[in-house]
Amino acid sequence: MPDFRFKRRTPFVHALLVWTMACAGLSAQMKGSDDNDAGYVPIISGGAGYVHNISGGAPTLEPQIDPVLVVPFGRHVLLESRTDFTGFFERQNLTSGPFKGKVFKDVEYAQLDWLADSHLIVVGGRYLLPFGIYNERLEPIWIRNLQDAPYTASIGTRTTGAGDGLMLRGVAVQTGTASLQYAAYFSARSGINQFGSGRAAGGDASVFLPQLHLEIGASGQRFLQDHRINNSAAYISWQPLDHAMDVKGEYDYSFFGHGYWLEAAYKLDRVTSVAAMQKVQLVGRIQQVSPRHGGGNGLPQVESRRFDLGINYYLRDNLRLISSYGRNFSSQQNLNVWNAGVTYRFTIPLWFGGKR
Amino acid sequence: MNLRLMGACVLLAPLGLMAIPPRQDRDATRKVSSGGASTTPADGGERVFTNNCSRCHAAPMSLPPRITGTVIMHMRTRARLSRDDEKLLLKYLAP
Repeated sequence: MPDFRFKRRTPFVHALLVWTMACAGLSAQMKGSDDNDAGYVPIISGGAGYVHNISGGAPTLEPQIDPVLVVPFGRHVLLESRTDFTGFFERQNLTSGPFKGKVFKDVEYAQLDWLADSHLIVVGGRYLLPFGIYNERLEPIWIRNLQDAPYTASIGTRTTGAGDGLMLRGVAVQTGTASLQYAAYFSARSGINQFGSGRAAGGDASVFLPQLHLEIGASGQRFLQDHRINNSAAYISWQPLDHAMDVKGEYDYSFFGHGYWLEAAYKLDRVTSVAAMQKVQLVGRIQQVSPRHGGGNGLPQVESRRFDLGINYYLRDNLRLISSYGRNFSSQQNLNVWNAGVTYRFTIPLWFGGKR
Repeated sequence: MNLRLMGACVLLAPLGLMAIPPRQDRDATRKVSSGGASTTPADGGERVFTNNCSRCHAAPMSLPPRITGTVIMHMRTRARLSRDDEKLLLKYLAP
């Protein structure tokens, strides 16, 4: 159904956009430190892609584009926003008939960042909930190695994956051998169209050891509406120094269930001299979830396990072909899941100013 | 099908690949044996770039200078970088 409220606000939105871009353009002309040649031009970046999914024999077509608007105001204030447009088209009778569906849109974040200090960034507005490693860091279509989200991605990210409120984040301590990064937030309950969120408070902390390329972190959250519950997560990320390998894993615990996922990806660019093979990335992931108190709230209602194997082919650093096969095991049904498609990352300057 | 067995295979396959010396290591070894320099000292900006970008995604091959500052501000917020890291990255990506 068309959103007429948006249409009524169109002149205001346009005026706001023009004002924002004008301010940002002036900002882009400003000279900051003179010891580098960096420009501060507003940009639209983001990811786009198309995924053909076949789950249990039922095909779906899923085109997606997620533009990210990034507008700096000087050197300490940044406006950034990401909107997700995802199409979901399936056959009328699941396995036969014409494809029907719609495009879903969602403002994933729209936040103002104040880079207050070397160790503090103040974020206000709508932000991605920093719970675990997936929602904030791995979810974009051009980043994720496997297109299907882990079972436990819904833990700690209710109700929409985003919070409306305030967040403090940054690096608390940084030495040559380790850095401690943190985030703490409070989100208010909101039912505003495109800006829905749950009332919650939480935080995330991780230690990164640069000499090992190893990161270990934990997240906690208190969900403060309806049935008040605690959510927690522990995660690890490891990229061995001399190998194009990426290992990530996470364990999540909630009132509604608990589970883990463990993913390993290996790009062949350092083990072969064959140019075509250097662009290949192999991916594997296992995961399991056990529901508690009936599960639900984004989690399966029966114990489920799954493995995925994927092959990605990087045509360029920002363009890749993706493919994967997964097998889901549960007491309700075992099914095969196939994904194939393409992802693309783009960056477009929005102003002619700035340095060079 | 035994999921644990399958999972072990999934995770051990990439680990098995790690047993193969990386190509650049083999090249470096050749350089050392021929008397050449095996490595180039990396400056702070390159270290910050390598440490932080690859934790989440493949690093871009290049960035136009006029958007470098914007991208680094964005990544400072996303990756929770310090101001020192931001300065090093600016010097590395837009010297």
